[in-house]
Parts: sequence; C-alpha cells; structure tokens
Amino acid sequence: MMSAASPGSSMVVLERGWVSSNNILLFDDNHNAILIDSGYVAHHQQTLQLVRHALAGRKLTRVINTHLHSDHCGGNAMLKRELGATITIPPGHADAVRRWDEAALGYSGCGQACERFMFDALITPGDRLTIGGREWHVLASPGHDPDSIVLWDPEHRTLISADALWEHGFGAIFAEVEGSSGFREQRAILQLIQKLQPVRVIPGHGRPFTDVEQALERASARLNALEADPERNARHVIKTLIKFYLLIVQEIRTEDLVAHFSGRRYAEIVNERFFRLPFAEFMLRMIDELVAGGALELRDEIVANRH
Amino acid sequence: MDAATGLCAGCFRTIEEIARWSQMTDRDKQVVLNKLAIRRVSK
Repeated sequence: MMSAASPGSSMVVLERGWVSSNNILLFDDNHNAILIDSGYVAHHQQTLQLVRHALAGRKLTRVINTHLHSDHCGGNAMLKRELGATITIPPGHADAVRRWDEAALGYSGCGQACERFMFDALITPGDRLTIGGREWHVLASPGHDPDSIVLWDPEHRTLISADALWEHGFGAIFAEVEGSSGFREQRAILQLIQKLQPVRVIPGHGRPFTDVEQALERASARLNALEADPERNARHVIKTLIKFYLLIVQEIRTEDLVAHFSGRRYAEIVNERFFRLPFAEFMLRMIDELVAGGALELRDEIVANRH
Repeated sequence: MDAATGLCAGCFRTIEEIARWSQMTDRDKQVVLNKLAIRRVSK
C-alpha cells in the first residue's frame, strides 16, 4: 500500500469501461476534491455512486472535462445537481454548450446522447491547476478531439492523458473522416509525451500504466497505419461508434441498428467518401467486419454485443 | 447498477469492487473475476 504522503494518496482513479471514460478524483488537504471527466449519461447513476464512495464524506467542488465527447461529460449534469459541483470545460465548444447544439457537439452525428449541462468556468492550455500540493499543467492535445486537454504533473512525472494515449492505442481520429487534419496533431501529441517522459499515465480508458515507452511505440505504429490508409481510419471510426452503441443497448434488431445510424453525420460521410453503397448495405458491411473481428455477434435478425 | 443485487448490470462487480479496481493487484483482480463468473451464472 502507498503511504499517506505518497503522491498516489491524493488521487483516486475510478477505472470504468469503454462506454464511460475513467473518472479521476484529485483531493486536497481540506477535504475537497476535483473530478476529471464524468462518464457516459447511461451510467450516470453508477458514476454518482462511485464518486460518492470515493469521496467518503469529502466535498466535490469541481468537475473538469478533458474534452466534451459524450463518454467524458455525460455525468456533468447529475454531479452538478446532486453534489453541487461546478463544471469546467476547455474553451473550444463553450458556445455550443451554451446553446446546447448537439450537432456542433457531435452527439447527433455519432448517434449518442448527453444530458444538457451548463459550464461555470473554462480551462485553457497554459493554465495551472493546483490541488493537494500538486501542480498540474494544462496542455493542448488536439488529434482525437481538436479541443482536448491533458494534465501534466512534472514533479511526479504523471500524465492524465484522456484519449491522446492509452496503454493500447488512442481515441479515433474523427477530424480526418471529415477531411480535416487530425493525424498530424495526433503525431505531435505523441511526440510531446515522448519528450515529457512520464513515469505514470492515467488514460481516459483502460488501466493506468507505467510502461509508457511501449505504449508510445504501439500508438505510433497504429497512427502510421491509419495515416497510410484513410479508409481504414474511417472504417475504424464507424465501427467504434457501432460497438459503442451495442455496449449500451447490448442487442438490437439489425434493421433498427441501421435506422439508428441512418442520417448520422459520420456514417453518411464515410459511406459517401469511401463506399457509395445503399446505406443499409454499407452498415451491414461494417457490422460484418465487427462480427469477423469478434466484437459483435449476429443471430438471425439480431445484432448482439460480444464480451 | 441492479437495485436488487447492488451489482453492475454489465460487469457484475459491486461499487466497492469497481472503486478499488485500479488499486488492486493482478492477484486481487483475479479473485474478484473468479467471483464474477459465479455471479454471472447465478443471475
């Protein structure tokens, strides 16, 4: 066990799955806490229970989002309502949040949901966040999301990496699907992490890890492969969105799954750019690839999640 | 979470187990995973 004085004692990582991002609690010495990222809306009751459990009577003062994808901020509204926490977001989507524009926030385009919330403050690259005797530097980390931030504690060489670096990979590069730049930014953030040389990374998904060199090598190889084959990246984005949806609904009639994604921005763009098939046929192809890869099962007219 | 059992509907862990997961050793995790297999079939 870590001693009370170790840096680990001022932090609790609630490791979630792929639908909800990890939630990271940072504590100070006055029984206050900050939460980094709040999970997906479908899990918000569990998020609240987990956060309450970890708080053990201490007060949650702020929720800070690394970025505003639905799996990172879906518990914001609930945590504000139930625990009275304020909400802090990176500035990129501030206007979209103010008017709750689900298209600009990407929720409608991804076929995902998020409970409406309002933010109280902004966190900007270059800011410093001091809590529990630790100082975190706020760094820009475009790539997976143009407006994402990561948090870097140089003294303890610890990085809260959001979806910029996981033990095995990184978050899908959505911008490239739309024809905007994302690979170059993702490469830059991997290079920055390489330069920082963290000894511990707390990712947005999956377990915290210390073999950062290996993770960077894997991420870099994966980025090279995606960059060399934009169609593969586009297929990966759509398959990620389908798998995400199946993780929530667990099983669904094939035609209902096709209908759920019909007219959704990313599915339409990928089909238009790379396949030009009737939409249902395009979706069946993506589903077949997920089945072949062992991520989903097909039973008669039903698509089911596979653990 | 399942209100009757107090278990996560997806992974069958308790709140306590999920909350402690990231601090558990691989051995502790395996102990929990063994319990989950039983909880899953007795659902």
